[in-house]
Amino acid sequence: MPTVRSRWRVALAALVFLCAVPRAALAGPLTLTEAGMVLSDAPTVPHDDAPWQRVALPDLERRPQPGRSGAAAWYRIDFELPAGGAGATPWAVYLPYFYDGAQLFLNGEPLVRIRGSDERVRVRWVRPHLVTIPEPLLRPGRNELHVRAALPEGRALQFPALSIGTADDLQPLYDRRLFWQRTLPQTAVVLSALMAAFILYVWWRRRQEVLYGLLGLAVLLWGVRTLPFVFEQVPMNLWTLWRAAFFAALAGFAVVMALFALRFAGLRLRWLESGLWAYWAIGPAAMWAGGPGAEPWVDRIWGAGLIPIGLMILLLVAWSAWQQRTWQAWTLLGALGLVLIAGVHDYTMVSNVAWATRLAPVWLGHRVYLLQLAANVLLLVMAAILTSRFVQSLNTVEDLNQTLEQRVADRERQLANQFDAMAQLERDRAAEAERQRIMLDMHDGLGSQLFTSLSRVERGAMAQSDVAELLRRCIAEMRLALDVLAPSDDDFRSAFGNFRYRWEAQLGAAGVHSTWSIDAADETLQVPAHQRLQLLRVLQEALTNVVKHAHARSVQVRVASDPQGLRFEVRDDGIGLRPDHAHAGRGLHNMHARAHRLGAELSITDASPGVCLVLQLGAATALAQMALRTPAAAAPLQSPRSSP
Amino acid sequence: MSIGVLIVEDEPEFLNRFSQAVRSDANLHLLGAVASGTEAMALLNDVAPDVMLVDLGLPDIDGVQLIRHVAARYPGTDVLVVTMFGDDEHVLASIEAGATGYLLKDTSIARIVASICEIRAGGSPISPTIARRVLTRFRAGPAATVPALNSAPATAIEASPLSVRETDILRLVSKGLSCAEVGEHLSISSHTVVTHVKNIYRKLAVHSRGEAIFEAGQLGLL
Repeated sequence: MPTVRSRWRVALAALVFLCAVPRAALAGPLTLTEAGMVLSDAPTVPHDDAPWQRVALPDLERRPQPGRSGAAAWYRIDFELPAGGAGATPWAVYLPYFYDGAQLFLNGEPLVRIRGSDERVRVRWVRPHLVTIPEPLLRPGRNELHVRAALPEGRALQFPALSIGTADDLQPLYDRRLFWQRTLPQTAVVLSALMAAFILYVWWRRRQEVLYGLLGLAVLLWGVRTLPFVFEQVPMNLWTLWRAAFFAALAGFAVVMALFALRFAGLRLRWLESGLWAYWAIGPAAMWAGGPGAEPWVDRIWGAGLIPIGLMILLLVAWSAWQQRTWQAWTLLGALGLVLIAGVHDYTMVSNVAWATRLAPVWLGHRVYLLQLAANVLLLVMAAILTSRFVQSLNTVEDLNQTLEQRVADRERQLANQFDAMAQLERDRAAEAERQRIMLDMHDGLGSQLFTSLSRVERGAMAQSDVAELLRRCIAEMRLALDVLAPSDDDFRSAFGNFRYRWEAQLGAAGVHSTWSIDAADETLQVPAHQRLQLLRVLQEALTNVVKHAHARSVQVRVASDPQGLRFEVRDDGIGLRPDHAHAGRGLHNMHARAHRLGAELSITDASPGVCLVLQLGAATALAQMALRTPAAAAPLQSPRSSP
Repeated sequence: MSIGVLIVEDEPEFLNRFSQAVRSDANLHLLGAVASGTEAMALLNDVAPDVMLVDLGLPDIDGVQLIRHVAARYPGTDVLVVTMFGDDEHVLASIEAGATGYLLKDTSIARIVASICEIRAGGSPISPTIARRVLTRFRAGPAATVPALNSAPATAIEASPLSVRETDILRLVSKGLSCAEVGEHLSISSHTVVTHVKNIYRKLAVHSRGEAIFEAGQLGLL
């Protein structure tokens, strides 16, 4: 039982307790802290007269006598079987660690052999050992346990304070230590490999994210560094390489972490980075050159250099934490501090630093490696930080997209509004133009007719029949305008039908037989409303002339489409053209003026008998162009009866 | 049998002109010539005209209302609406109210008499624009829109109260064909065509009444 000598040792003991290292030591099992030891190669238990010396356990610095190699150390441990014997459950010996080979004897009889290094295989056991004692070997009262421990080459033998007790009591101790010191590192190796693959893949796809690359590398190196916890037996010819790889991975991890911390702090110090890599190369190179003999030097001297690197990392991260004041930086700092403490702990433990051994002999005697636990925490923290960065950047991208979408939508709405405004403006403009056309038409047509007629009536120059005739013309003109400009009708065929409907009756009443025909497909009959009015006015003028002057018996009105466009024909069988006829002359002038506005060609020929009027309207495109021509530019209309 | 005519026209010039036209023909006799809607209503209690000429711009009652009144109360009376320009908006409203024909104000006296006789003989005039508008009215009516929920394209036409022949006539007239040409096209006499037109007008009146009731029902007035 350990002797508790002061308060902080109690605290350390509590830590031991928490870390679930042999806590049952105080209860059931006997933990043996004293042994007899003799350096001897003897294959069987040395006699009592051999130079046994008393040593305290754990015995951590056992080396061969100078000048001798390949020797072994014999340990003799006495224990008392409690009164009443072993009881129902079997007894066992628990060795929390035993890195090298050993043979155990109980009361002189071989108990078990733990395989040690030989010419072919180098052994370094990480796992604890639990040896069950066969019932017959136990003696009531005092028993003697002998351990023949092979002295390892190049370093000291560490002999633990072993425990003896019932297997039931010792099994949990064994299980716990196995879990923390072996199963967990094994799991860490597998997880490290997976995580490194994932993170390095991310980095491979996004090279600019150097932090991911460094983290991936750190995780990978840590996985390699932890491999000795997985492979406890290594072929002898690979041993140097194996250790070199271990040191390379360990130092590489520190260097990569330093680079990570530099980047994290936003520093790019090339000379420092090169220096770190150079330092990193020294250890493995020395191992490679010096062989197994170089290991203690590498371990103690070169390994000690990692502590300042760790301190530098810690300071860098502390500085960035101070600068950034983010949870990521503080957490990283905390995890790093943990790692550094664990690293120092492991280093002092492995190196058997004298003052530390004096300070906490019990705890260090348990030889619990903490660095690999703390490093796992650090790696998890780093992964969490990078994950949060990743999530953050995803969120940023999403926000950006949303803002962008919002902007596009805003702009779209703006454009739509502008477009609506423009369309409205266009409609207004079109309506304005239409109003202008109608006004101009009324002004030049109906208006001028009414004004000249009024003047003539006032000076008594118009017969009653002429006035009636004039008014009929005006009414007819208005009617035509109303028909054509009616908003519901947008079809020339229908407008022409209405025109025909009116004129058929009128011609019939005047005793003129009319025949009407349309020989054109609907699509060629696309005439805009305002052109329709002009067009039908020309025809109206022509039919009025037929009724008034031609003395015709019949008239043919034909609409036909031909390659040039639309052709309108009015052919009567009357008396034909009379060049001297002044009224007809005015009417003709008006028709020509309207035809000009339409951009159409008008020809009026004497067909003997009668007159043939042909209005040729260009193809649809020409029509559309003509529609743009301002009416003001066209020739003015004259009253057909402006003078007697 | 002579045709009894009632004239409702607020402008004395045209009142005279129409009266003169009625008096000029032995087959027509003038039952009354009044200048307001109220007078016309009062007179209608005593006389049952065969034909009534109605001007739309009356001083007291809207001409369309008067037409609706006559059409509902005296189904045997033919209403000819008097219009200045024959513009389809007024004519169509009158037909929907129950008129079966229309007269232009500048129609010659001979033509006025002829029109009265024609409408009594069962025929109604129709212009391409009015034909087109009537077609549209039937397609857009409630009888068409309600079953259109079944949404077969043919449903609208099937739901229309017009017969196939009537629809054909409207379509041909709206294309600009004269009644004679429509008759030729459908192998019927032009007289049959105008009889169809009169029937169409009657259906439009009924149709728009139904529409009014339908709309009133929709508004919760009935």
